[in-house]
Amino acid sequence: MSLTHLNSRGEAHMVDVGDKTETRREAVAGGRIHMRPQTLALLAEGGLPKGDVLATARIAGIQAAKRTPELIPLCHALALSKVSVDFTLNEADASVDVTATCRLTGRTGVEMEALTAVSVACLTLYDMCKAVDKDMEIGAIRLLSKTGGKSGEYRREHGDHDGLPSASDQAQGVAPIVTGKCFEGHIGVALRHEQSCIHVKCLAELRERLGISDIDIPYDSLPAPNVAGLKSALEEQDPRFALLGEQRILCAVNQVMSTEETPLTEGDEVAFFPPVTGG
Amino acid sequence: MIRVQTQPFDVAVEHQALLDRRTDIGAVVCFTGMVRDFNERPEVLALSLEHYPGMTERSLAAIVDEAEQRWALQGVRLIHRVGHLEPGDPIVLVAVASAHRRDAFEACDFIMDYLKTRAPFWKKEHTASGHYWVGERDSDKHDAKRWETS
Repeated sequence: MSLTHLNSRGEAHMVDVGDKTETRREAVAGGRIHMRPQTLALLAEGGLPKGDVLATARIAGIQAAKRTPELIPLCHALALSKVSVDFTLNEADASVDVTATCRLTGRTGVEMEALTAVSVACLTLYDMCKAVDKDMEIGAIRLLSKTGGKSGEYRREHGDHDGLPSASDQAQGVAPIVTGKCFEGHIGVALRHEQSCIHVKCLAELRERLGISDIDIPYDSLPAPNVAGLKSALEEQDPRFALLGEQRILCAVNQVMSTEETPLTEGDEVAFFPPVTGG
Repeated sequence: MIRVQTQPFDVAVEHQALLDRRTDIGAVVCFTGMVRDFNERPEVLALSLEHYPGMTERSLAAIVDEAEQRWALQGVRLIHRVGHLEPGDPIVLVAVASAHRRDAFEACDFIMDYLKTRAPFWKKEHTASGHYWVGERDSDKHDAKRWETS
């Protein structure tokens, strides 16, 4: 084990990544800011003097990830393909969990970008709330998972966030799609190991009609890199998926409502479901 | 404040939470949706509510954001229950605070209309004569459309 940022003379240097192969890399980092319950309540209600705290902190985190090489001396400038910052409010212990996910296809990992995003999002939360609470405490900033690259897969075993499930929790089967007691249609949740796949979920009535809840489709098998292409690949694999052609069936890509033309990239989560009937 | 939970909620507690030490609020409108014992078929015994964790919270947050842009609101609390529910159980709460009543009435109405047509929840009804997934209603779509032109 040695420190790659130090050369044989013990001097700091930037690692030459030119010879590394390009792989799809993703890192997820988390952090937590503790505050007074009253501050959390104000934050949740949008009642703080500086306005929409979470939206501002999200943008701050995303911007920070993109500027990591300006802050951390030996980091490479990377063309990130995705940065997302999510928040979970924990009323029980008056804290906000911050999670950042960074992704790219390239030669170097993105954990520094994810950690920077979390750090700056936490600092922004502090800045936005400090008028009403100076005792806030930022902590538990750490890498939660990392995939792709030579050092392989890393996943923190303990100390993940409480509260609402994150996307990565769901992928590991921590949170079921069906909550509470259900009379029929128990489902499994697929593990997310295959990097070159599209992760497909079928929900509610559609899941029961198909008898399929989760399936991974190799990205290479898509005739076109969009939702329509995915439907063709699914039908090719199993004629039952012809059901997805029904006009009433809706589709979300990475949890955002989508259309036939919505482009897909490796690792995307695509859910198909019938019209919603909540409320 | 947005919550998706299996446990029941207390309307009085949520109402009070909106008002907590504030004297600038002039109106609070609370809507509570209940499980009926008749729907597509009579004798509904129970309901299973499924959702899409992650997307549910995001879509509810987007609906509340939009309401806050359209009306001058001083607070919104939105709770939706999931899992096993029985007739008489409260299923959804939308509580909206504003300085003047019109904003609170309209924003509450808007949030419910959008929730019913945009948030990924699905109901399965269990009746004496079998189980089935509840179908979408054209009237819900029509209700949601009302807000598109204004």
